[in-house]
This record gives sequence, C-alpha cells and structure tokens, in this order.
Amino acid sequence: MATEEKKKELLEKLRNAVIQYDEDTAKEAAQETLNEGLDANDAIFNGLVSGMVEVGRMFEAQEYFVPELLMCADALYAGLDILKPHVKQLDLGVKGSVVIGTVEGDVHDIGKNIVKMMFDVAGFTVYDLGRDVPLDKFVQEQLRTDSDLVCLSAMMTTTMTGMKKVIEDLRAKNPNVKIMIGGAPVSQDVADKYGADGYAKDATNALKDAINMIESLKKMKDEVEAKKAK
Amino acid sequence: MKAELRRELLGHGATVVGFAGLRGYLEGEIAHLDRAVSIGVDRRLNEDTLSILVKLQKRAVRILKSRGYRTLAIPPDSDRKKGTFISKLYSLFNHKMAATSAGLGWIGKNGLLINAEYGPRLSLATVLTDAPFHPDEPMEFSLCGDCALCMTYCPSNAITGSEWSRSSPFVELVRLNACRSYKATKRATDGKPNCGLCINICPYGRKNGTAEQSKTTVQHMTAKSLRTQR
Repeated sequence: MATEEKKKELLEKLRNAVIQYDEDTAKEAAQETLNEGLDANDAIFNGLVSGMVEVGRMFEAQEYFVPELLMCADALYAGLDILKPHVKQLDLGVKGSVVIGTVEGDVHDIGKNIVKMMFDVAGFTVYDLGRDVPLDKFVQEQLRTDSDLVCLSAMMTTTMTGMKKVIEDLRAKNPNVKIMIGGAPVSQDVADKYGADGYAKDATNALKDAINMIESLKKMKDEVEAKKAK
Repeated sequence: MKAELRRELLGHGATVVGFAGLRGYLEGEIAHLDRAVSIGVDRRLNEDTLSILVKLQKRAVRILKSRGYRTLAIPPDSDRKKGTFISKLYSLFNHKMAATSAGLGWIGKNGLLINAEYGPRLSLATVLTDAPFHPDEPMEFSLCGDCALCMTYCPSNAITGSEWSRSSPFVELVRLNACRSYKATKRATDGKPNCGLCINICPYGRKNGTAEQSKTTVQHMTAKSLRTQR
C-alpha cells in the first residue's frame, strides 16, 4: 500500500495535469495511481475533479479562456478513461440518470458537454441527445429511459424559448421529472418563468443542484411507495 | 527564446520552423494566443511524418509552458482526433495562414503552401501561444510567377490560375468540388481518395527541379494514370 506522502503526491500530480492541460501527464499519473494500489474514486474526485474545479475558478476569473478550458477537459477525460474501469462503487448517496441536450436550432454544445462530463464523473447514467435536438425528442427519451432529470441547454435567446415548450410537455407527461436549464442567456428569472426546477450557472453548480434534486425526488418516490404499502 | 526554440525543433527533425504574429487574423475564441510557431516537416514516404510532427509539437509546448506561457497545439490536418473537446476549435484555424505569416512560403496556384526550398512538400503543424516573441517577416505575395504547370496538368481542371497574396486571402485558387470529385474516382494504395499531381509537378523543391523535367515526369505520370483508370 502506498504511503500517505506518495498518495498526496499523486493526487497533486493528477490535479496539476488537469490544470496544466497536460494529457500525457494525466494518463501517466492515473496509471501510477493504479500501480500504487490507490483508490480510483479518490483519484478521480480529489485529483482530477479537484483540478477541474480550480480550472472553473480560473475560467470565471478570466485567467483561462475557452481553449484552455477545453484542453483541461480533455486531460481530465484522458485520466478518467484509465481510472474508470477500476472504480468499484461510486457512491454519492444517489444514483441517477439524466437526459441532456442542446435544444432545436442551437448547435452550441461546448457548455452542455462540460456539464455532461460532470455527470459522467459523478457516476450518473447519461443519455446525451447531442445538439440541435428536436423538442419532442426530450419528452420521448425521458419516457423511454425513465430518467430522473432532464437538462436543457441553449446558447441563443432565439432558441431559448424552445425550452419553455419542452418543460410544458414534460410536465404534462410526467409531473415528477426534474428539469434543469442552462446556457448563456439563461438566468434564475428565466428558469422561474419557464417553470424549471433548477438553473445552473456553470457545470459544478449543475452537478450540486442535480444531486440535491434527485435526492428530493427519491424521497418523494419513497414516501409515495410507503403510503401505497400501507 | 526564439533562437533556442528554433534550434531545438530543427535539431529534432523539423525541416523548417517559423514564427508568426497573428493579431487580427484569429477568431475570438483563440485570439488571445496571437503568436504561432509554425513547423514544417518534409514529406518523405519512408518515414512517419505525422509522428515526427506531433513529437515536435509536444516539444515546443513543453518549452513554452516551462517559461510560463500558454499554448494551444493545433495538430496536423491528418491527425485530428475526433471527439475531443478541443477538436471543436481546430476548424477555426488554418496551418497555411500561420506558415505564410511566419514567412515559410506562399500559397501557390495549387492552393498549397510553397516553400522556396522544399516546394509544396511540407507537412504542417502549429503551436499557438501568447509568448511575446518578435515575429518573422511574413510572405506577402506569391512567387509562382508565370509558372502554371499545376494548372495545365490538373486532371480535373480545378485550378483557376488566380494569384494569392496576403492581402486577399479569399480569392478562389482551387475549385474544391472539381478536385474532390476527381479524387474520389481515383483511390490509391490505401483506399483513400488521392491525386497529388499538383504536388509532384511543382518545380519548387523538386530534386534538380527544372520546369522541363517536371513536364516529362508529368507526361509519364498522366499516361500511367490513364492506363490504371482503364
């Protein structure tokens, strides 16, 4: 078993590989982690994801721009690909599945992909519909997969209005599903007006909100089932 | 630093190295990285040009990063991994533009980068950076002159014969549809669409290259290709 020191060093190496957008080092560090017999969960969350959180902060502070952000995400995935098969049990208290996509007419999917990555990392089952997704498709996919969560993304004010329709249709078919929206023109006001359950400013917030929502959703389901049982 | 970088790259397999200032030539997402290291490797059929280029890029990135500069390595056109986050930005960038800006050559009538010494026989890769080095002198005009061998011998009549200059980069040099549809009928050894006559015919960079010699080679080649087509 690796010493505390070695462990700390490797976690730091993973973290820095993501921050420094260095794919090769991310792979190398991930492999070392496995060779040393460290816990893959630990490596993912306290190494790779911790690095990505810092990258998010730097992006907000305008120290990093879009290209750096994307390269960091690639480095994270490079490490994740190696570590993921060794994750024994990724337990965040909740397991959920999520349908995600960029709404019809909109081809901007960088933000959506980063949110998707956070769900991937957290062990959610992700049904990614891609970009320019016909509005009906969200409802169909939610029903087909019985997902707990639907995430909608739009980059333009013109396509943002499509989200309103999706939310109405989803509510009509399945009142329990949780809906989150995000994207440049979206704000908490818009989320309230459209009747979404959540609005996320960025990928990290999206994940936190999603976990909270699914928790409350699971609780609701349990209560309903408990009543039925009586 | 520029001299060191150049020496280092030339010492590890680069055929030519140039430094470009690209302020005003880049899309918003990558505009903050307005210097480019343009690397060309002479295409030799018995060597893996691609892997040399990728290694050279990594070397350049390592050197620049160690001095605290940002980098964005744009891989050679034939080595763009699909599905990575950063690959979305590659389409914003043109290697030939960086190469002409770095004074490595001009754009010939065949639409390819022509280097005075190596002709159109270079494979290109670029590393964008914010390192504030002094750019090399850009190439402003085409040095093709009256030579129109590529136009005369192009089997698909795709070459318009227009002249390139740095101030008018959007003049149509090659009718891409014509070129593509001819290439599609002619699959070389590896099954990919192929032609390349306009590379072979170019007198720049031919071994003992004179225009006269090019002519005879092309007559030979055209005859041969006609035979294989039948």
